[in-house]
Amino acid sequence: MTALLFIAGCKKQEYALPIAKDVLQNDAIKRTLGPNIVGQTIEFAYAMAIQPSKGKLVSAEVEATIAGGTGTFLENNTYFTNQSGVDVGIVVGLPSSNSGIKTTVTFTKDTSASTLRYFYVIPPEARGKTVSFKFTVKSSDGATASYQLGPYTVAKMDMVRSLAVSNNNLAYISIEDMKVYNAADAATNAAKIDLVYLFRNISTSAFNHALVSPAADTIYLPGITLPAGVNRSTKMIKVFNLQDFNLAQLQYGIYIDDLDFQQLNFATAPNFGINLKQEAGVWVETADGKYRAYIYINSVNSAGNAVISIKRLAL
Amino acid sequence: MTMKKYFSIAGTLLLATCLFLSCEKEYPVDEDGLLITTRTECFVSNFELLGSDFVTVRVGAVVIDTTAQTIKATVQFGTDLKNLYPQFTLASDCKLDPKITGKTDFSDLANPRKYTVVSGNRQIRKPYTILITVQPR
Repeated sequence: MTALLFIAGCKKQEYALPIAKDVLQNDAIKRTLGPNIVGQTIEFAYAMAIQPSKGKLVSAEVEATIAGGTGTFLENNTYFTNQSGVDVGIVVGLPSSNSGIKTTVTFTKDTSASTLRYFYVIPPEARGKTVSFKFTVKSSDGATASYQLGPYTVAKMDMVRSLAVSNNNLAYISIEDMKVYNAADAATNAAKIDLVYLFRNISTSAFNHALVSPAADTIYLPGITLPAGVNRSTKMIKVFNLQDFNLAQLQYGIYIDDLDFQQLNFATAPNFGINLKQEAGVWVETADGKYRAYIYINSVNSAGNAVISIKRLAL
Repeated sequence: MTMKKYFSIAGTLLLATCLFLSCEKEYPVDEDGLLITTRTECFVSNFELLGSDFVTVRVGAVVIDTTAQTIKATVQFGTDLKNLYPQFTLASDCKLDPKITGKTDFSDLANPRKYTVVSGNRQIRKPYTILITVQPR
C-alpha cells in the first residue's frame, strides 16, 4: 500500500499552455510609495491588452475623483527595457488631453497591448481628502474594461525642498511661509520668523551649524543682532538618522507622514539646536502652536552655508 | 502479559512526574524576576550620555570614581540637559535603582542625580552621583 502511495504521489501532471482570455483585459498598479503630498505626483502604470484577432486598443482614460493639478498626464509612450537596462519609450498615441477629472490618450498605432504611465499631480483641493482613480480602456471591437484604484488619502502637510540658508545673510526661517529671509526681509515679516540659521567655527566647542530660536538665550546666538521684532521662541528636538525619502531624496526608504507630527511631545523641548550635521534634522513646533515641522539638513559646508528641506503640518 | 504492560505504563508515568517535579527547582529571584546570585561586586564600569538624537553628548572620557562613588562627565556646549538618555555599564549581575525608562532630566546641576548600583546578591547598594559639566562656548 505504501508503494502504491509513492507511485500515486509521483504521478506527473502534464503541463498545458495557459489559454489567454479572449476579452479585453486591464490591470493597474500604483508606483509611488509614501505619503501623498500636495504638489507632488502619484505615478501609476496602467496595462491593457486584447487578442490581436479580436481587435486593437482605441483609447485609454483615467478618471480621478478630484481633478489633477497642472501637469497631470497619461503617457502616450509604451516602454520596453533595452539590453543596457534603459527604458525606451515608443509613441503609441496622441499626447493626453485633460478634461475636468478625465485624462485621455487616443491610440494612433495599431497596437493590441500597451502599458501607459499616469502621473497625477496632487492639487491643493485634495488636501486631507481621499482620491480614487478609475482606469478605462476601449478596444476596436467595442469592448471596454475598467480598473479601480484607491481611495488614497492625501496628506495635510506641505513640503518645500532645497532651501539655501547662509550665515548672516539668508538666515531667517519662517515655518508659516516655508521661506528663508535675509535680515531686511525678516524685519518686515518679523512675526513669522521662527528660526535663525547660524554657523560658528569656535575652537572651544562644537558649535558649527545651528538653528536657534530668536528668543533663545543669547549665548546660543553669538554675534547675532536680531532684526527689530524678531523674537519668537520655537521648540525643537534634534534628530539623527531620519532621512525622509521625500526631503533627502536619497536611498533611505523612510517617510514622515501627518501622524508623525501629531505624536510628537514638545513639553520639555529646548528652543535651540546647535552642532547640526548633514543628514540630521530637527522637529519643530512654532511658538503659537500652529505648525509642526521637520527640517532636514540636506547639506552643509564650512563656509557657513546649508541646504534645508521642510515638511510642515498645520495643526 | 497484560499485567506487565500496565506496570510499564505506570512506571513511565511515574518517571515523567519525577522529571517534571525536578524541573520545578526554586532559584532565588528578586522583585524584578532577576536571578539573585552570590556576587558581591558593586560598581559602575562605564557611563554614557546620549542626546535626543541618540548621539553622544559627551566630551572626552567620563571619570568614574568607584571610591567616591561619583561619575563626572563633561557634555558639549548647547546640550539639551532636560532630554538625555543615560547608559550605565555595571559589574556582573548588578542592577540599577532607579531604573532608566527613557529620557531623563539632568538640568538641575545644583542637585545632581543619583543612581544606586545593587550587587548580584542584592545585599550591597552603592549610590553614584552623576556630576555633569557643560563645556563652555
